[in-house]
Formats: sequence, structure tokens, C-alpha cells
Amino acid sequence: MEVEAAKAIGAGIACLGMGGVGIGLGNMFGNYLAGALRNPSAADGQFGRLIFGFAVTEALGIFSLLVALLLLFT
Amino acid sequence: MANDPISQFNISKLLQLDVGGYDISFTNSSLFMVATVAASAAFLIFTTSGRGLIPTRLQSISEMLYEFVAGLLRDSAGSEGMKFFPIVFSLFTFILVANLLGMFPYFFTVTSHIIVTAALAFGVIGMVIVYGFYKNGLGFLKLFVPSGVPGVLIPVVVLIEVISFLSRPISLSVRLFANVLAGHITLKVFAGFVVSLSGLGLGGVIGAILPLAFAVALTGLEFLVAFLQAYVFAILTCMYINDAIHPSH
Amino acid sequence: MIHRCSVRLFRALFPVMVINMTENPQDQPKDEELAKRLERLKSNLEGPDSIAAEAEQDERTRADRARSKAGIAQAFRLSSEFIAGVVVGGGIGYAIDTFFETSPWGLIIFLLLGFAAAVLNVLRAAGMVAQSEMSLKTVQEHQKRTDKQDQNE
Repeated sequence: MEVEAAKAIGAGIACLGMGGVGIGLGNMFGNYLAGALRNPSAADGQFGRLIFGFAVTEALGIFSLLVALLLLFT
Repeated sequence: MANDPISQFNISKLLQLDVGGYDISFTNSSLFMVATVAASAAFLIFTTSGRGLIPTRLQSISEMLYEFVAGLLRDSAGSEGMKFFPIVFSLFTFILVANLLGMFPYFFTVTSHIIVTAALAFGVIGMVIVYGFYKNGLGFLKLFVPSGVPGVLIPVVVLIEVISFLSRPISLSVRLFANVLAGHITLKVFAGFVVSLSGLGLGGVIGAILPLAFAVALTGLEFLVAFLQAYVFAILTCMYINDAIHPSH
Repeated sequence: MIHRCSVRLFRALFPVMVINMTENPQDQPKDEELAKRLERLKSNLEGPDSIAAEAEQDERTRADRARSKAGIAQAFRLSSEFIAGVVVGGGIGYAIDTFFETSPWGLIIFLLLGFAAAVLNVLRAAGMVAQSEMSLKTVQEHQKRTDKQDQNE
């Protein structure tokens, strides 16, 4: 197999990791919204923690994006 | 017009012009930019020419527009920022009128090309940088050094802040461009559904009701987006101007 | 208009009276009767109150609609801010790699820095960080402050 083709396939597979992050983020925001609808007065106070969780989760997605970019561009 | 969602963004030369090897032809994009400026200027001049103490309906529209942008700028940049009012007002009306003109069938949407929005955004950021250095000197660089950060972390934080600053014109231009482009493509696709379904006979005509309803609803949404994007662009411009005036926060 | 004003006024006065009654029920034996009369008055007011309630609901839906509009604007902002941060960081890293031939370190470092800048952008756009302070401490302090405010309210 050509190296270039193998790289492109690898980059595609690496991007699958972003799907998991998508699921995780959906879970997180959905649960935040569910909690916020139960107790709206406490929702604003927890927004910072939501963003913190978003950052930590999304970091993993960025890692897989990084692997994909590295495979494609180096 | 072809039944192709992209063809509405084609640029066609209306007047061939070449100056010193540069192609500065008058295109349909330029035509609609001129139309936008002419329409907004004519509206404002025409409606405020009466100068009635008790405004007519049209005059109160332009007064509301003025008050809206002035309030926006005063809230985020203070009264010191009011000297930037002309440019913020021009940007807001240009984007708003360009978006609204683009909603007419067969009209070209100026803001659906990233080069136009990027020129506007880089103009704003360039103005902010130049004015920031002119007003504060090197103190403007304090913008990149937040207060209360331990010394070891400063290089990393400064790098992050610089990237954050550089991402501003990108996000400003891409947001406007992507929203307008995506909205117009979706509209065109749904309108195309209606046409191709109703060509299939009676069942197709009945089936075409749903995409037609969607297209109508999307048109409403597009008017909302046209206003919202102009609003977001204007309010972010105000915030960046505020950064130029008070870099140390 | 006058009617609505009187309803508002009555509502504003109501809790005070109720509290006074519950605080010292023994001192004034007539309070029970008074409470009954107030109850009757309240139920009488409830009927024609519907106009005011409707107006209130109208106001609320209008506020809701305005808030959802602001929500759409904020959603547009947040997503594009995040993407722009990552893209700019990766772009800078790639440019550094091609100019200085440091491949792949520029891309790695600057993509991660770009990610950090993107989160900062999002926090700033959401109004969680006072314009140029980014430590987690300030976020937590801000949270504490808002929590306290919530409790006070």
C-alpha cells in the first residue's frame, strides 16, 4: 500500500475519536440542561463547571484532531 | 437560473477593467455593494431631511437605528468610544442592508463571500491596533498580560492571549460569512425540492407542501439571522474598540 | 389600568399582613376572622385578575422570545469563537513548521495553545472571565459570588 494512502486512512480513523467526544459533550450539555430545568436558580452558578468539563472533554478531541493533522501534514 | 445551490454565489464581470495588470472589473458583487451603500444612504438622507420635531414613521425608523447603535457603543465602550460612532454605524447598516438585500430573489448577497467579511473584520482589527498604539503607546501591549498571573506562567499566558487576539478577525469574518452562506444554500436546496417534487405529478405536488412550508419558515429565520449577524458584528466591534481604549482593564 | 395597579398594590401589601398574622396569633383573637375576610377578598380578586395575569404572561413570552434570540446570537458566537481559536493556533503552528522546519513540534504546541486560547475565548464570550483574567481561581471566585447572590435572592 502506498504510504500516502495509509496516512490518509490513518487520519480518517484518528478522527473517529472526535465522535466519542461529540457523544460526551452531548451527554454533558444535555444533563446540564436537564439539571438547569429542574433548578433554574442554581444553573448560572454551575455554568463555570460546565465550561470546565467542556474544556477537559474537548481537549481529548483536540488530541485526536492533532493526531489526524500530524498524519496528514508531516 | 440553474437548479444548483452554489450558482447563486457566482461572480460575473459586468464591466471589464484592467489597471496596471490588476483586474479591478466591476462585478455583480461590486454592483450590490454600491446598491447597499446607495440604498442605506438614500434611506437615511430621505427620512431625516424633514427634521420634524415630531418624527414621521420613516424618520423614527432612522432615529431608532441611530439610538440603537449609539446605545450599543455607549454601553460597551463608554462615552469615550463615541468618536468611533460613524464607523460602527456604517458597519452595522452596511451589513444589515447587504443581508436584507440578499434576501430578495435573484439578488446577490454581498456578505456570502468571505473576502468581503474578512476585509471588514481586518479593517476593524487594524483600526483597533493602530488606535490602541496611538492612544496608549506601548502600554497597549498590556492587553496581552493579564494582571495577577504568576511570573512562571507569563510566557504561556501571553502566547495564549496573542492567539486569542489573532483569532478575533477570523471568528468575526467566518461567523458572518458562514451563517449567510449556509442559510442561502439551505433555502435554495429546499426551494429546489419543491420544484423537482412538483414535476412528478399530483403526488409530488402534495409532497411538495412540506418543503415549501420549510422554505417559508427558513425565510423568516434568514431575516432573523440577517439582523442578528449585523448586531453581533457591531457589538463585537464595540468590544474591541473598548479594548483599544482601555487595554489594562 | 387603575384596576391593575390596585391589584399590584394589594399583592405587595399581602405578604406583610400574612406575616404579621402568623407572628402573634394569640395577641389578637380577631385575626382569624380577618384572615377569612382577606381570603374571600383574595378569591374575589382572583376572578377579574385574569386580565392582569394575561398581560403578565404576554410580557413573559415576549421576554422569553427576546432571550431565545439572544441565545441564538450567543450560540453563534461561542461556536465560531472556539473554532477560530483552534484554527488560528493550528495555522500558526503549521506556518512555523514550514518556515523553521521544526516539524512536527510547532503544530503540536501551537494547536494545544490554540485550544487553550479557544477555551479562553469561549469563557470570555460567555462572560465568565473578567476581560483579561484567566486563572481558574477567578472563575471559582466568580462562581462563589454568584452562588451567594443566588442565596441572597
